[in-house]
Amino acid sequence: MNFGAQVTDEIFSRRELLLRGGAGFGALALSGMLARDKAFADAGSLAPGQAHFAPKAKNVIFLFMEGGPSHIDLFDPKPLLNKLAGQRMPESFKRPITAMGETESPLLASPRTWKRHGQSGAWVSDWLPHTAGCVDDLAVIRSCWTNGINHSGGVCQMNTGQPLAGRPSLGSWVNYGLGTANENLPAFVVMTDTKSTPTNGPRNWSAGFMPAAYQGIRLSPGAEPFRHLNIPKGVTPATHRRKLELLRRLNEQHRATREHQSELEARIRSYELAYRMQSAAPEAVDLSRESEATRRLYGFGNRDTEPFGRCCLLARRMVERGVRFVQIYHGAGSKWDSHSKMEENHSRQCRQSDLPTAGLLKDLKSRGLLEETLVIWGGEFGRTPMSEKGDGRDHNPTGFTMWMAGGGVKGGQVIGSTDELGLWATEDRLHVHDLHATVLHLLGIHNLDLIYRYKGRPETPTINEGAAYTKITSG
Amino acid sequence: MIQRLAILWVLLGGSVLAAEFTRADRDWWAFQPVRQSAVPDAGGDWAINKIDHFIARRLAAQELSPATTADRRTLIRRVCLDLTGLPPAPEQIAAFLDDDSPDAYEKLVDRLLDSPRYGESQATFWLDLVRYADSDGYKSDHYRPEAWRYRDYVIRSFNTDKPYDRFVREQLAGDEIDPGNRDALIATMFLRHWIYEYNQRDVETQWNEILADVTNVTGDVFLGMGLQCARCHDHKFDPIPQRDYYRMRAFFTPLLPRDSMPVGTVSQRFEFFEQHKAWAAATDDIRRQLHAIELPALLKNTTGEGFSKFIDRIKTMVRKRPEDRTGYERQIAELSERQFGVEPEKLPERLKGGMKEEWERLRAELKSFEAQKPKPLPQVKFVISDAGPVAPATRIPKKGDDVEPGFLSILNPGSARITLPPAALRSTGRRTALAKWITSPDNPLTSRVMVNRLWQQHFGRGLAANTSDFGKLGEPPTHPGLLDWLAARFVADGWSLKKMHRRMVTSATYRQASANAQSEQADPANTWFARAPIRRLSAEQVRDGLLAVSGELDLESGGEGVVADESNRRSIYRKVMRNSPDEVMHTFDSPDHISHMPQRNVTTTATQSLLLLNSEWTRNRAAALAKRLTKRHPGNAEAQVAAAHELAFGQAPLPSQLNDALAFLDACGAANKPSGLAALAEYCHVLMNANAFLYVD
Repeated sequence: MNFGAQVTDEIFSRRELLLRGGAGFGALALSGMLARDKAFADAGSLAPGQAHFAPKAKNVIFLFMEGGPSHIDLFDPKPLLNKLAGQRMPESFKRPITAMGETESPLLASPRTWKRHGQSGAWVSDWLPHTAGCVDDLAVIRSCWTNGINHSGGVCQMNTGQPLAGRPSLGSWVNYGLGTANENLPAFVVMTDTKSTPTNGPRNWSAGFMPAAYQGIRLSPGAEPFRHLNIPKGVTPATHRRKLELLRRLNEQHRATREHQSELEARIRSYELAYRMQSAAPEAVDLSRESEATRRLYGFGNRDTEPFGRCCLLARRMVERGVRFVQIYHGAGSKWDSHSKMEENHSRQCRQSDLPTAGLLKDLKSRGLLEETLVIWGGEFGRTPMSEKGDGRDHNPTGFTMWMAGGGVKGGQVIGSTDELGLWATEDRLHVHDLHATVLHLLGIHNLDLIYRYKGRPETPTINEGAAYTKITSG
Repeated sequence: MIQRLAILWVLLGGSVLAAEFTRADRDWWAFQPVRQSAVPDAGGDWAINKIDHFIARRLAAQELSPATTADRRTLIRRVCLDLTGLPPAPEQIAAFLDDDSPDAYEKLVDRLLDSPRYGESQATFWLDLVRYADSDGYKSDHYRPEAWRYRDYVIRSFNTDKPYDRFVREQLAGDEIDPGNRDALIATMFLRHWIYEYNQRDVETQWNEILADVTNVTGDVFLGMGLQCARCHDHKFDPIPQRDYYRMRAFFTPLLPRDSMPVGTVSQRFEFFEQHKAWAAATDDIRRQLHAIELPALLKNTTGEGFSKFIDRIKTMVRKRPEDRTGYERQIAELSERQFGVEPEKLPERLKGGMKEEWERLRAELKSFEAQKPKPLPQVKFVISDAGPVAPATRIPKKGDDVEPGFLSILNPGSARITLPPAALRSTGRRTALAKWITSPDNPLTSRVMVNRLWQQHFGRGLAANTSDFGKLGEPPTHPGLLDWLAARFVADGWSLKKMHRRMVTSATYRQASANAQSEQADPANTWFARAPIRRLSAEQVRDGLLAVSGELDLESGGEGVVADESNRRSIYRKVMRNSPDEVMHTFDSPDHISHMPQRNVTTTATQSLLLLNSEWTRNRAAALAKRLTKRHPGNAEAQVAAAHELAFGQAPLPSQLNDALAFLDACGAANKPSGLAALAEYCHVLMNANAFLYVD
């Protein structure tokens, strides 16, 4: 496509919007309004809501199993592993550098019961009975690989494309590329199942070198869904309105002699938006409007499943209202990290997440939302066939499983494979860049054509690499 | 003929094919020598200094007229924020308004440049460039207890107007050029600000990334050239072949991060070195035997992340005696050793039988040489040096050939001439050679890049708009003659930054008002500088400004960083934790301090509005201001409003604004029945949200 021409038109239309003000001011959204001339000139952004080509998906919900779930105990059965359990990995397997240096430790059997499920007959272990019931909606990708061998690098890379910090996260790129569909809510929302902070903290959903307007905004279930949303205690609504009115007058007087400065107008609007948000957000997070059946579907009423279920239900409500990209951390703070006591760890993690995950898929489907909502499941890496501390597994970045569902993905397929022990991805290997390119592809964005200029250099979401696995829509 | 070509080849340095560059590459503006531009005639009565003649010429060519001169209140707010990062206090405003002398403004500028606040404010822009932080980044984001010394070094350097060339040389090679000067060693922390993962078992890859980081940041900061594109392939747009990237990187290949580094002049270091050499020779055999006994026992019981998790290749490097390691082995072994601790104090319990007796005997024998050991020199922490006088090889990946240090070959195709420093410094001299080349008056990039950065500070946009990319992806300068004239002046003035700031902010160009209908129409982007830009305050200016207005700002200078949220000190003194940035700073676009930031983003978001409207932090500032006002003008609402206006906006309120304010206070008081103080605090809070505070023009 001829990007240059489009950018010019786009600059013009946004500038015009800014200057026009009033009712035509649709482009200003919570997650941002760039207001510096330079920023317009630099923008390689698409027109809000406009993709490179017809999108399959409108929204994304990324269920991030933080800490690294064990693919060989969940989606990728390895009979050879149980056969060789207790022995050293045969010499024929190439040795990776692992986080804990467990390359020569004895192989650890997977004691799971495996079954084929659904019409597609995909394998899922007994740890995920509810997800197994949805398997015909999933494209299980067994051949993922990444570079980061530690949590920090791994989580960073799964979010931003590279293990080193500093780049915008995928949600920011989507926000930058597609803009928002609801100007009263952020375009990119992040939740965690507990109060724990995920590895790397807010850096995971930061906009990196892009303006902060594109970063993810944390949504917390409770009285104040977004930070500083509520009018402070001790300020009556009447006083609050009076203050906003005085502020508006001051700003109008200030602007009267500075008509040409569109940023001042944008600032005035940002206060109006904040005001609108104060009424829109509480409704968006009000789960009391959900039926008992729906709540049960997400695991409400059960101490194990409710925290993650609440996030999943909120995610559905967000995408219903046009939020573009929702990310939920399950096991925030590396809780899936099972260097020892695999059995105990994964039993707990699966118990907490399996039912709400399936609930989300079913709920989206029954409301007709799954077709336009891409759901992604996975962690920053998988786990090794080699044991650690006798009953755990080390990090495995060289081969692991993720799945995608909805948003144009053809369900009931298994993509790629790992070697006979599940250590290295072998067929149809998909690097994080390819996975990100695939997500963008489903959203109608070509990964190499979405450009942001940083320090004069054209930057793309997948660092000029990666290709979408387009067969994901057809199987 | 062939022979002639070969000679030419050697003359060209033999390393880069001359034919690699096209005519267009060689003619690129940024690679041309800085010209001594003739000052144009244009400008007439309007011009105050030379800058204005250059600007006026372009304005005439564009048929634009400059804006009128800004009024004094506007001007003092602008120049105070630009030079000190703080809004003017009412007393400063009064003094300036009352000064009738023709050079009242120049005197104001001199006072500001002399203020310690100047260096604190300037440091912000420099720390953005060098990705300064007080933490490692990565998962644990460990605090770096020594990093603040670099921040103070930068502030000190700006306040004392250290010549920029000296400032650059210290940061790149302070350990080689002035090893007895603590400040020069602290300066080398410039090469320590990379993110670091404390438990990265893939040590060699991490080291590789660290070297890439320091190479990239050096190109970005000093040369305004993005080198990183050429790390994996020849630069697609600029004449930087991949080989050049590695030539530049070769200056840093010998680096060794040091947690303890002696401070000593060359002669002190020489004395220490010679004594130590003698002691080491005398005890070599004993220490070799001790190593053989101690090492297995020490590595068997390690603390921290432990020794066993490393691959064999690294274990082998760690097991070697430090003096037997090559430079590269030393780099990797020491980086690995950061991940675990050993417990020599537990050796007596861990060694048994005859082994223990032998060990005790050797220990005692070694102790008898104690007197021959040199007295330790004072130390400085968290700095960098070379791993030794012999540099490890610098190799282009997949191509396999070794590269010698060299500069951008479009400017200087030969290999760099390296002078080995005195042996006692145990250094290669490579970084000194790089620093000399960068700060050579003939380098066409260094002076241009720096004056352009200062121009960006004061005029909102660089003369070349991409201040860290003078390559083809950047934009060529709008006023090439002026850029060159400034660059040449900068060098001629002994690289004085204060003189350059003074020159810029005393120009008629700088003193223009922000309104100019003609220029707004014809030149909306203000390419030709026919008016002053209206700018939002930076994150630091918002936070420091609110504290200054409320009367709470604590002006203590220097020292270890504070938690911004819990302190009223200037933002430059906050701890910059990469994974948990301060909320006010982050919300107002302070960068991530992970990579180089030449020009901050400026966003306008509802998140900012919510923070200013509803956060406790802002409300506390408003309450403090209200208290300050009632103390100053007890019971006099009108005077309180006027004082609040002047503090927050630098302007007196219009009669209508005064009326609005009084009506607001009445209504607030009546509706909520709070005391007058609470209503006043609500009023102050509104001012703190207003554009007249958040913007400067």
